[in-house]
Amino acid sequence: MNPANQTWLRREFLYGAGTTLGSIALSALLARETPAKTTATGPLSPKPGHFPARAKSCIFLLMEGGPSHIDTFDPKPKLHELHLQEFTRSGEDKSAMESGKRYFVESPFKFRKAGACGADMAENWQHLAEVADELCFYRGCQAESVNHPTALYHLNTGNRFGGDPAIGSWVTYGLGSENQDLPGFIVLPELAYPQGGAANWSNGFLPAHFQGTPLRPQGSPILDLQPPAGITREHQRENLDLLATLNRRHEEQYPWNDELGARVENYERAFRMQMQAPGIFDISSEDARTLDRYGVGAEPTDAFARRCLLARRLVERGVRFVQVYAGTWDSHDYIHRAHTALMKAVDRPLAALVQDLKQRGLLDETLLVWCGEFGRSPDNGVRGGVAYGRDHNAKAMTIWLAGGGVKAGHTVGATDELGAEAVEIVHPMRDLHVTLLRLLGLDDNRLTYFHGGRFKQLSQFGGKPIVELIA
Amino acid sequence: MYQHFAVGLILVLGLGATEYLTAAEPVASKGELLFALRVKPLLAQKCFACHGSQPDDLQGALDLTSRAAMLRGGESGAVVLKPGKPAASLLYTAAARISADYQMPPKENDALTEQQAKWLHDWIQAGAPWPGDDRLASIQNVSANELDAGVQVPTSGGLSDEWTQRRYAAADLWAYQPVRKPQAPVKIRATDGAHPIDAFIDKHLVDIGAPPAPRADRRMLLRRATFDLLGLPPSPLELDAFVHDPAPDEEAFAKVADRLLASPHYGEQWGRHWLDVARYADTAGLANDFERPNAWRYRDYVVRAFNDDKPYDQFIREQIAGDEIDPANPEMLIAVGLLRMGPWEQTGMSVARLTRQQFLDDVTDAVGQVFLAQPLQCCRCHDHKFDPIPTRDYYAFQAVFATTQFAERDAPFLPHENLGPIADDQGRLNQRIAHYEDELRRIAAKEEQAARQWYAERNLEYTPRNQLVKRGVPEEKIAPRHIGLTTEDFGLERVARKNLARHTWELDRYRPIAYSVYTGRTPTLSNVQSRLHMPSDPAKEGTWEATAILAGGDAFSATTPVTPGVLSCLATPRAEISEAPHGRRLALARWIADPRNPLTARVLVNRVWQHHFGQALAGNPNNFGATGKKPTHPELLDYLAATFMEQGWSIKKLHRLIMTSQAYQRSSQHPHMAAVSQKDPDKTAYAYFPMRRLSAEELRDAMLAASDELNRTVGGAPIRPDMNLEAALQPRQIMGTYAPAYQPSALPEQRNRRSIYAMRIRGLADPFLEVFNQPSSEKSCEIRDASTVATQAFALLNGEETYDRALAMAGSVLRENLNDRDAISLAFRRTLSREPTPEERDTCLAHWQRMTARHEQLEFLPQNSPKEVVRHAIEEMNGEPFTFIEKLEVYEDYVPDTKPWSVDSRTRGLAEVCLVLFNTNEFIYVP
Repeated sequence: MNPANQTWLRREFLYGAGTTLGSIALSALLARETPAKTTATGPLSPKPGHFPARAKSCIFLLMEGGPSHIDTFDPKPKLHELHLQEFTRSGEDKSAMESGKRYFVESPFKFRKAGACGADMAENWQHLAEVADELCFYRGCQAESVNHPTALYHLNTGNRFGGDPAIGSWVTYGLGSENQDLPGFIVLPELAYPQGGAANWSNGFLPAHFQGTPLRPQGSPILDLQPPAGITREHQRENLDLLATLNRRHEEQYPWNDELGARVENYERAFRMQMQAPGIFDISSEDARTLDRYGVGAEPTDAFARRCLLARRLVERGVRFVQVYAGTWDSHDYIHRAHTALMKAVDRPLAALVQDLKQRGLLDETLLVWCGEFGRSPDNGVRGGVAYGRDHNAKAMTIWLAGGGVKAGHTVGATDELGAEAVEIVHPMRDLHVTLLRLLGLDDNRLTYFHGGRFKQLSQFGGKPIVELIA
Repeated sequence: MYQHFAVGLILVLGLGATEYLTAAEPVASKGELLFALRVKPLLAQKCFACHGSQPDDLQGALDLTSRAAMLRGGESGAVVLKPGKPAASLLYTAAARISADYQMPPKENDALTEQQAKWLHDWIQAGAPWPGDDRLASIQNVSANELDAGVQVPTSGGLSDEWTQRRYAAADLWAYQPVRKPQAPVKIRATDGAHPIDAFIDKHLVDIGAPPAPRADRRMLLRRATFDLLGLPPSPLELDAFVHDPAPDEEAFAKVADRLLASPHYGEQWGRHWLDVARYADTAGLANDFERPNAWRYRDYVVRAFNDDKPYDQFIREQIAGDEIDPANPEMLIAVGLLRMGPWEQTGMSVARLTRQQFLDDVTDAVGQVFLAQPLQCCRCHDHKFDPIPTRDYYAFQAVFATTQFAERDAPFLPHENLGPIADDQGRLNQRIAHYEDELRRIAAKEEQAARQWYAERNLEYTPRNQLVKRGVPEEKIAPRHIGLTTEDFGLERVARKNLARHTWELDRYRPIAYSVYTGRTPTLSNVQSRLHMPSDPAKEGTWEATAILAGGDAFSATTPVTPGVLSCLATPRAEISEAPHGRRLALARWIADPRNPLTARVLVNRVWQHHFGQALAGNPNNFGATGKKPTHPELLDYLAATFMEQGWSIKKLHRLIMTSQAYQRSSQHPHMAAVSQKDPDKTAYAYFPMRRLSAEELRDAMLAASDELNRTVGGAPIRPDMNLEAALQPRQIMGTYAPAYQPSALPEQRNRRSIYAMRIRGLADPFLEVFNQPSSEKSCEIRDASTVATQAFALLNGEETYDRALAMAGSVLRENLNDRDAISLAFRRTLSREPTPEERDTCLAHWQRMTARHEQLEFLPQNSPKEVVRHAIEEMNGEPFTFIEKLEVYEDYVPDTKPWSVDSRTRGLAEVCLVLFNTNEFIYVP
């Protein structure tokens, strides 16, 4: 007897745990599999863009919750003078959060100039400072919503109310993906999904092939990727063979129906993915130096380090668009404690990701984006006493880009002396979308999908590239 | 009778008459005419925004507002205009999109039509004449009808005269023409159907030279019709009865259609189609994703409306204005829930004016799409780019809803509402509430104790913090906030506080209230996290909202005031909507449901056709405007619309009409498919019946039916099916904390109900349904995607939920005490509605045997359900990690479905066969 299952519910392995997936008979079984065919006709097969691409793939690092630009990359000495000065704000256009008695809050963080380019960075960015010259900081972007889910939907899909395709869906729709055995758009969320949930990586009205596939950091990375415990691959192969037999008769009755054939092939594709994906997702095959450099196995970096390292493995294997979440940066109170912890958790992995990509010659063909759904306010509300935190701010934020086509070593745009509002090279979010598409070789105006009677596009109704960010 | 209705549009068609300008002036040349009537308006519409209107911001330094400037060109140096030589003029080559490298205007939506490009071409060819302004004006005045200039449509007027005087291609205005009942074409061949639908379909088939497929066999037809009307497979008994019915085919099938239309499950299937369009969900979406009190009563109202064959015009009026029609009737208060179905919330971070505007924009656009196939959101910021709908109309339409307010109104439960499922969870909810109250007390006590100590150390008297702050005591003399609390306490306090508010509101589901609206002043709403009550006097508090055109759609940029109105491009029917606060919606509803409204009936029959055939006659059921797909059979569409109204807006009569046609009863196979495919490459001719993939809900329900686990009870509060456990326990953030875990209903008979009754949580889609393309409910969904993706194979082959169905089905088949061969037969009949072929039977028997042998080697230990889940979270306030345990109360008395450890290896072996049957194309495609 074979006591097959302690975990009938689901098998543990994964990039979270990095333990064995019965890699035992894997190579033997592999021999039986048909290798991945890159069919020229599949919905995810690679397609040329509209422009020569500056980057082939994208890693989008989403600092969910809204990191404070004032405490990370955009120092505001003026706030030192104004610290704790009170004022009152009111108005029909203000939310309860923004209204009432408020006071300015200076940044508790020290800043310094980093790299040859002299980028402004909080001292907490110990590791990221080493790659300052690879980054392009942008201070001119403005969002529209101060609510997390609507702002996240806006950043991810161009539409504040959700339901539209995410940027990763648009990109894979436009360019396909290099690897036909993995999804073209993969999301690496935190343990907890962000506000607004899976609509943040929805394919919206695009066909489902372009949906973001979240790789869950615990348990099964893709739901039901493996058969129930006890069901071996040979066992499943037999089921698939019976399925093929039964389908054959039906297909003969409908020789002109392509969908039937596509569905038959889909099972084989799923079977291959089931086989290969765990190996790709398992970062334990990386050498110790790499693991250490990212901060895998050390706190507080471990979780984000794993996601960053996995992101590199995925783009290396031809996945077009990877989105990595870290959060929550929603520090309404105690910004010193909260942002210290948050920066520490991401600093080392971020730097390692840039350096690792560079050493592997991948940085030039990968576009890195680091941003939140909005920035934070220079002032805070009085909530049961004074707390040094910051509220949401759609009018100012810092974004950084790195990699293919990006004007590295520059800081573009500026906010006012308080960091309350962007004042130079100001662009709405849709222009950032247009710019990211441009760097990947896509023209937002031509990357359209006819839905509900009109051509839809990521920027909703068109935008301009932010040329200052492009090398 | 419909021929006699007044003409819906005043068409100003080109008459082709040649007129003289004035006695002194020479007759305008062809080139001048082209320029004045075509090219100049085209340039203004497509080019001047970037190349002219703002001299400081000329794109590419190119000015197109004069001939001289065109000849000068822009900074690229390319030749923009070479008179007489269109092919050498970038103006033409870019606009005609001749090269992929340089195309103008840049956006697809602005691309010129072939005809428009030809105007440019011919004008340049004619030497690009550009008359002076005076002459231009006089040509435009005098010779407006000179060319076939298209159609002007009178409206309430655009933001610019240019828009107001715009001309439309007559073909783009098809949907605004009155519905006239066409004569069905005369039979051409003896074999052509006598049925009016067949007359239209067959005429077209003859035109394109495609022969129709033969009649479907009874098995195929029964499977098709049962899934179509009920969303369920036919039972083996129903199959036998129909196959052996001695009545002639058409008569026997007509009986089947009647039986299915009388089934209570008909309303579930067709109600579900309506809920897609209505963007139905049980929760609010966005940051908190709160459960909406009794949204399910609207869902069941829709199911009832279909089952009762409520006349569609009445269905319209009730959903838009039920509360104005009869506020004493709970059904009417429930029906208007439609208006509030969109995602909506108001939190402390929301600006009240904006969330109000968000509702107004959502309801305006939704009502336009749902009933009129006219998406209106395009006109929020500007006059419609393609359709004769000015921004003014958008806000006039919106003004109808300016006095519509939210309330969860008292509405006693009705005798036909199923209250069973409501009681299932009340105990657990109270348990949760008590738990979180305890948590808060514990944490408050801990904080107070630390504060007491702090004051004691300073020889100060303990006083609660808020009292001291109120008295103006300086901060340094008050114990610090959160004194004595750890990160974990912070986190737990927040989890408890937020969940307490949430669950307390959820108690509203046990109250007889309707998720509804009333007419009144707009109140000032702040953070909404409990019931919105109906005010005793709706005219007392708040403001009477005035509606104005909002510049750029911005709620804070009101410009010209507007009064309530409808779409002005439709000359008939007219609607006089009073400015009085009450009765606006009823007036709008009556205008929509007026038989003279050219859109309403067409929209509905098009949707019904779509669900019968898997494709609509007009391919964008939510958009009948210029850019929506044109009807493939316009006369048929009108015939159906007119007949539908003649028959009292009865949807069931419409089903009968469609289902009795030969087109509906054709085989999905065709003996000459190669030839037909060539004649009908778009697959819109209905030479054969289009096969369709089961929807997500049909797939789940069909498996439950095949396994004999399906509880067919109709209606009631949402149930919670088993969900992939990892997805169910997936932590997800809501505002300031984490959403409670998804817990299934405790008993199999509670949760194995039809999928329409599964709770629709906007923030947590059921992964099984989602992967089979159940749409999200943010927006009205006109048609579902049915693409094939790898994760579908995972869900259907590896998923525990599918395997549970296979095990249950195997158990249920074996309980029939059949021999092995008949057991395989029964499995086929339950899943595929047919007997296996001898080879199939042998293959399956061999598979069963092999799998049984394999399962004898396996041991499945009973798996206990989790009683709690450990959450690792980041505390928002200080960014530090903390851990908490969430109890999963349901699993205290949860009864699992059939599991591998509860059956023998022979059953598990047969389950493998059932699992494979669930995965076949034949099971998942309706023939």
